[in-house]
Amino acid sequence: MKAMLRSVVIGALALALAACATVTSAPQGTFAVGQGYQVNLGREWSDISNIMTGRPKNVRLLSIDGPLLNRLYLTDGLAPGQFLVKPAKRERPTPTYRANMAATELVEFVADSVAALDYQRVETSNLRPTKFVGADGVRFDISAQTAEGLDMAGTASVAEAGGKLYVILYLAPKEHYFAATLPEVEQVMASARRG
Amino acid sequence: MAAPTAISAPAPNSKVLLMQPDVQLSLLTAAGLQEARADWSQQARTNITQAIESELRAKSRPSELLDPTQAMAGREGQLIRLHEAVGQSIMAFNYGVINLPTKKGTFDWTLGEGTNVVREARGADYALFVNGRGSYSSGGRKAMFIGMAALGVGIPLGGQTVFASLVDLRSGRVVWFNMATAGASDDMRTPEGARALVGKLMTGAPL
Amino acid sequence: MTLRRILTAAAAAALLASTAQPALAQAQPKLREAQIRPAVSSVEGGLWDMSDQMENHVKASAEVNKDPQLNAFVKTVLCKVATEYCGEMRLYVLDRPELNASAAPNGYVDVNSGLLLRAATEDELAFVLAHEVTHFARSHTLERYRQTKQTATAGMILGMGLGIATGGGSLVSDLVYLGAIASLMSYNREQEGEADTLGYGRATKAGYAKGAGAAMWSDVIAETRSSDFPKTRNSEARASIFRTHPITAERVAALQAMGGGDTARDVAAEKKYRAVIRPHLAAWLKDDLRRRDYGQSLYVIDRLSKLGEDMGVLEFYRGEAYRQRRSEGDGAKALEAYKRAVASADVPVAAWRELGEAARKAGDKAAARQAFQTYLDRAPQAQDRWIVESSLKTVQES
Repeated sequence: MKAMLRSVVIGALALALAACATVTSAPQGTFAVGQGYQVNLGREWSDISNIMTGRPKNVRLLSIDGPLLNRLYLTDGLAPGQFLVKPAKRERPTPTYRANMAATELVEFVADSVAALDYQRVETSNLRPTKFVGADGVRFDISAQTAEGLDMAGTASVAEAGGKLYVILYLAPKEHYFAATLPEVEQVMASARRG
Repeated sequence: MAAPTAISAPAPNSKVLLMQPDVQLSLLTAAGLQEARADWSQQARTNITQAIESELRAKSRPSELLDPTQAMAGREGQLIRLHEAVGQSIMAFNYGVINLPTKKGTFDWTLGEGTNVVREARGADYALFVNGRGSYSSGGRKAMFIGMAALGVGIPLGGQTVFASLVDLRSGRVVWFNMATAGASDDMRTPEGARALVGKLMTGAPL
Repeated sequence: MTLRRILTAAAAAALLASTAQPALAQAQPKLREAQIRPAVSSVEGGLWDMSDQMENHVKASAEVNKDPQLNAFVKTVLCKVATEYCGEMRLYVLDRPELNASAAPNGYVDVNSGLLLRAATEDELAFVLAHEVTHFARSHTLERYRQTKQTATAGMILGMGLGIATGGGSLVSDLVYLGAIASLMSYNREQEGEADTLGYGRATKAGYAKGAGAAMWSDVIAETRSSDFPKTRNSEARASIFRTHPITAERVAALQAMGGGDTARDVAAEKKYRAVIRPHLAAWLKDDLRRRDYGQSLYVIDRLSKLGEDMGVLEFYRGEAYRQRRSEGDGAKALEAYKRAVASADVPVAAWRELGEAARKAGDKAAARQAFQTYLDRAPQAQDRWIVESSLKTVQES
C-alpha cells in the first residue's frame, strides 16, 4: 500500500505538479554531465532532471518519451556517502555509495537504488566486464516491474574512477521501449569519458 | 488543444476493440471532501459505453467490448499497462504544462508493434480506450461557493473530464487522442448527457 | 497494526483533523452483517468501490506471493478467526518487508511477508489477522469517514488541495482517491484498542494461545527500540499523522489484563510455524534489509535465531546486515557471522563469496583464498564468477 502510493506520488506528482520546473533539450552531440565528464548523444534527448523528485544534484536524467517510457540516469561521479536516489527522510535511507565496495556491491548498489525508485522485484543478470569512463567496470542487465505490473527492462554500466562512482542506468518498459532505444544507449555508454 | 490525429479515416469495416470505459465519479461535499459514488460511476460507465457503441454502430463500425481488468495477464495485459503509461505521458506532455523538447510540434506516441498480438487474438484493427474522472458539487458545496466568493475566496466546485485514445493495432501508434470537459448539459450520469459528452469527446475521431 | 504510508498533503490534512476528534463511545460493539454488499448509492458503497480499485491495483503487483501452500496456510488461519466473514475475504500475501496487514471495507485482505517473518507462531499471526478482521467487522473505515466528514475546516483544506491537484489531469485524482481510502484505513487509538480487544476474543475463541497478542506486540515494541534511527526508536511516544496509533506498552498491558499475560512461546508451535515460512525465509530477510534499518533487521534475526534452526541462512543475513551498515566494528561482526554461516549445512552459497570479501578486507588472505575457491567450486554457473575469480587473484599474489 505504501509502496503503491509512493509510486503514484512519484509517477503523478512529478509529472503534473512540478509544473514550474522546465525541461530542456539535450541536443545530439556532446553532453556535459558535469565538469570534466561527458557523453556523446546520438540523437536529441530531453533533460528531465528538473521535473524528477528525489534526484540528487549530481545525477542527470534524460528521456525521449517522458519518465514513464524511458529514463537514462547519468551520475557525475558520486563521492563516497552520496546516492543515486535521494532519501525522502532520514528513517528511510536509500543505498549509499561507499569507498572500497566490491564489484558485486556496486551492482547491489544500483539494483537497490532501482528498488528505492519503487520498482518491484528488481533482479540483475548477465554481469560482464566492461570498459567504462576509461576504467574497468561492470555492465549488467536489470528486470523489474512497476507497481502497476508493467514489466521493465534495464541495463547499467558502473565503474570507479578517481575515487568516484560513475553510473549510467537505462530503464524502459520491456514492451517496445527498451529495445527501441538500446542501440542509442549502448553508444552513449561507450562514449562516456572523463577529462 | 485540438485533438491530435495521425491518420485519416480507417478502412471501412475495421473492427474496434472498445476497452470498458474506466469511470470514477465522486460527490464534492460542502466541506470539500470527495465522497466516492459507486452508483454514479456505474451509471456513467454504462451510459458512456452505450453512447460510444451507438456512435460506432451509426458509422457501421463493428466493435467488441473488453473489460481490461479481465485481460491483465500475459502480453495483452502488458500492452494495456503500457497504454496506461503512454496515456499518462500524453496527458502530462500534450495536455499538461510541461513540454518535452523531444516531442515538440509532433504527436508521436506508440505502444510498438507488439499490439499485433492483440490484433490477431481479438480480430480487431483498433483499440479505443476511454476514461472519465470527476466530482459533482453537493448543494451545500454550491452554497459555500457563493459564501466564500462573497469573502473573495474561490473554492473548487468540481468538474468532470473524459479522455479517449485510439490505437492502431497494426502499427501500435496512438493515432488519435482527445479530452472533453463536461458542461451543464452533458451530465454523464444520464444517458442523454453521456451521449452529448461522447459526441463532444469523439469530435474529430477518425472513425 | 501499523499502516505506514505516504499520504498526500490533502489526505493527511483530513486525517490530522479526524485524529483530534473524540471517538464515539461504543458500549456494545455492533458487528456488520456477513455477506452483505452495501447499497451502491451509499457512502459505504463508495468505500467498497474505492477498495475494489485498490484491490485491482494490488492484484497487478509483482509482489503478490503465489506459493499455493503458503497462501493456503494463511487463508486457513484467516478463516479460523474471521469465522462468519471467511467467505467474503479474499487474501493476498505480498512479499513486502514492512510489518503490515489490512482488511479493506470490501473484504480484501493483504498480509505482508514482513508480518509473516515477525510472527513467531501461528497463534501470533492469528492474533494480528483477528485484529484486522475486527476493523472490517466493526466497519472502522466507515466510522473514520464519518469522523473526517464532521471536521469541516480540514475538509476545506482537502478541497482546496484537490482543486490544485486535479488541474493536472485525471491521474492526479486517482492519487487523491487512493490516498483518501488509505487515510481512512489509518485507524485511531480507540479503534486500534477495540481491534486488540475484540481480536483477542476472536483468536482465543478459535483456540489460539492467549498470550500471543502480547508476545507479538512486545516484540514489535522491542524491534522499534532497536532501530538505527533515534526518531524511530522514540516513535512510541510520538503521534504521527503518517501512521496509525503506535503499538504501546499500554496496549500490551491491556491484552495481559484480559488474560493474555503468559507470553512464553511454545517451542513446538514455533517449530511448526517455522517449517511453514522456511521456503521464503531467505528471500524475506533479503527484502527486510532493503528497509536499511539494520538495527531492526538484526533484532528480527536475533529473535529468529533463538530457535536454533536455519542458522546458515540467519547468520548469512546477519553478516549481510553488518556488511551493508558499515558502522564502526561492523566489518569484524560481518566476518564472524559469515564464518558461523558457512558452518551450517543450509548456508546460501553467496556466503562463501562474502566470507572471502570480508576476510580480504580484514587482511586474512589465506581465509579469503579458501572462501573464494569454495564459492567457485560450489557455484560453477554463477553470473559473478569472473568477479570472484579476479578477487581470488588479488589474494593469491604475494
